[in-house]
Amino acid sequence: MSRSIARYAGLGLMLALFVLLVAACATPPPPPPTPATSAPQPPAATSAPAGGATKPIVIGFTASQTGNLNVESKKQTQGLQLWLDDVKKAGGIKLSDGTVVMPEIKFYDDESKTDRVQALYTKLINEDKVDFLISPYSSGLTKAAAVVSEQNDKVMLTTGAADDKTMEQGFKGTYQLYTPASRYLAGAIDLLKKLEPNAKKIAIVNEKDSFSTTVANEAKAYATAQGFEVVLAEGYDTGTTDFAPFINKIAAANPDAIMGGGHFQDGTTFAKQLYEKKVPVKMIALLVAPADAKFTEIGAGAEGVIAPSQWETPVTYSPESAKAANLPWYGPTVSAFVDGYKAKYNEAPSYHAAGGYAAGLLLQKALEDANSTDAAKVKAALDTLNLLTFYGQIKFSTDAKTHGKQAGHTMVYIQWQKGADGKLAKQIVFPLEAKTADAQARQ
Amino acid sequence: MNSSQPFAASARLAWRETLIPYVRLIAHPFLGLVLGVILVVALFPIVTNSPTLREEIFLVLMAVILASSVNIIMGYTGYVSFGNIVFFGLGGYVAFFMMLTFHVHLAVAVLAGGIFAALFATLLGIPVLRLRGAYFALATIGINEAVRAFVNNFDPFGGSVGMNFDYSFYDAYGGAKNALWLAYYAIVLVALATVAASFIIKQSKFGLGLMGIREDQDAAQVLGIQPARYKVIAYAISALFPAMAGAVFFFKNGIIEPGPAFSLTASIEGLVAVMLGGFGTVAGPIVGAVVYDRLRSFLLTSGAFSELHVAVAGVLLLLIVLFVPAGLVGELRRRVPWLRKYTE
Repeated sequence: MSRSIARYAGLGLMLALFVLLVAACATPPPPPPTPATSAPQPPAATSAPAGGATKPIVIGFTASQTGNLNVESKKQTQGLQLWLDDVKKAGGIKLSDGTVVMPEIKFYDDESKTDRVQALYTKLINEDKVDFLISPYSSGLTKAAAVVSEQNDKVMLTTGAADDKTMEQGFKGTYQLYTPASRYLAGAIDLLKKLEPNAKKIAIVNEKDSFSTTVANEAKAYATAQGFEVVLAEGYDTGTTDFAPFINKIAAANPDAIMGGGHFQDGTTFAKQLYEKKVPVKMIALLVAPADAKFTEIGAGAEGVIAPSQWETPVTYSPESAKAANLPWYGPTVSAFVDGYKAKYNEAPSYHAAGGYAAGLLLQKALEDANSTDAAKVKAALDTLNLLTFYGQIKFSTDAKTHGKQAGHTMVYIQWQKGADGKLAKQIVFPLEAKTADAQARQ
Repeated sequence: MNSSQPFAASARLAWRETLIPYVRLIAHPFLGLVLGVILVVALFPIVTNSPTLREEIFLVLMAVILASSVNIIMGYTGYVSFGNIVFFGLGGYVAFFMMLTFHVHLAVAVLAGGIFAALFATLLGIPVLRLRGAYFALATIGINEAVRAFVNNFDPFGGSVGMNFDYSFYDAYGGAKNALWLAYYAIVLVALATVAASFIIKQSKFGLGLMGIREDQDAAQVLGIQPARYKVIAYAISALFPAMAGAVFFFKNGIIEPGPAFSLTASIEGLVAVMLGGFGTVAGPIVGAVVYDRLRSFLLTSGAFSELHVAVAGVLLLLIVLFVPAGLVGELRRRVPWLRKYTE
């Protein structure tokens, strides 16, 4: 009896699978709404509307809803969705001829893998007829997506992708919002020079993955150019949990500062073990991990650790600082963005979220400047942009080789410092004009 | 002189005797049918000039190549190669390196990547294929991890940063648009070759030998089969095609990094496709790969399941393994005897 049930269940399952298969193969499948798309599918190309008409546009991208990048990617998407809400609340993007551009977003899950990125971007462009693109999260996925977006002459704003090499291949419609990886630790080296004029030796120990290695190589070159001696340059494998061999080498090299790290897990463990072994250095600057609030879970080990960040909530960019820098200001103030984000998601925005919002904001500004939704005109507008927003300065390189690479935005450097109440608090210590506290050398 | 002539003649005869069955196999209606179906499906995007369809079918064909290849060593020979993706990555790396450094054409790079991986598998197979069962499966995972760690530290391959093409690299192929079409034609050819090889092996004396090894290696040896040689050849063939697919895939992506190149998840997905379709058959891995890939793609882009696609796919696969252990094609063959003639 149970055997026959199993048989029928098996047969039924096979049938169901084939039905699914047929449904999936039917070409092209009607694009189902993603959780973000509640509006009806906009027409592919609306004719130029008369004054006052509403023109819908679709912004497409893939997000890593699953896989190892899903936390960062999700925040990026949340930032973008907040921008969309704000635009809708304001009644769309108004062009000078009275046309109101009403954006919608459409995205698919890329599973944090390159496998499907090109297929999904091709689908977004050809089937869903999106007007503008935003990059996936991370440089590897962005590179694969750019091959597709460039050949279709689309405008793609990249956020969450800091790699330099990606942006040095003569792209025409790809624009980077993040400060490139090569400049991640440059500020920390500048800060070390100011903080400890006698410091001479730096040890660089980084995770051996694409992003961290790029940062470390560039930091090494920059440190040498600034007159420092890089006494140790080592990489550790992704997933390393025991840093004792590296710490012993660091101790033997006797550096003034330690720089490097990689991502959250390894960076946190590294900082903790450095503290436990009481390595006597003036400065520890690590990538990614210290920028996250969870970093303080390691307790006293977090104190004094410095990290570069694309953006932090206490940044002091404002219409006034724009005036002082002789730049136009655009978009919401820092506090308006932070409050809006907190109200919608019940948490403080990370730099990934700010990057997502900024991607939408920059596109909005370019549409207004171009006074059109035409890709060529929007590109021309993006090329000439140089402004200050809550996210910082934005200016794209217009050099043929590095076209679209971020040339204006700078990192901020945070340090965990003990406040008067004895609790660790995140302070911006560099650049000096954005600081919320003075940098402290480690004791 | 006199004595050597009959020897030469008999050698010629032996060669003909070995080759003729293979030639006959190529003309087999089943093979024609399968290749015909693949070709017709592959022609769809070309006829309709649809890049979206092209990208979808590219992924399906790549899944077919990976599943059919692993089926040669796993389904026919009974050696579960968990880390077969290592050849996909290696082929990709070798080809990418050659295209980037020596500016060779994609076709040359694909062949070079395939041959390199097949040679690597041959050398590796000699010691590793002495292991049986779970020990072999574990060893293949180890190999994949070891090669990934090696590449991660191997500077000519870009180390952990990997390698990438400049966008202008595609100008040599008439721009990125044409390059993506070229990659598609290449994957179609590799897929056809993989399926043809899978079928010919299954039907040949060599394939019979492999299946003999799968059922009982010691008994096969008593019957005059040389297990060591047979297994190494099967392993090399199961390395050749994934390597060629890897070369095409990373050419199209424009970037290669150790993580995506040696992804154990992708390896296991290949095994799942084989189990789903029916291992040890020619059609099984093809059906399994198509179903699995389409299912994944459908769930990924469908509104209702997009957050749950991994869970849904997991439950379906669990049900398959529980209730249809022989796979879709295996079950079909069991239930409908007359179909056996048409489903190899």
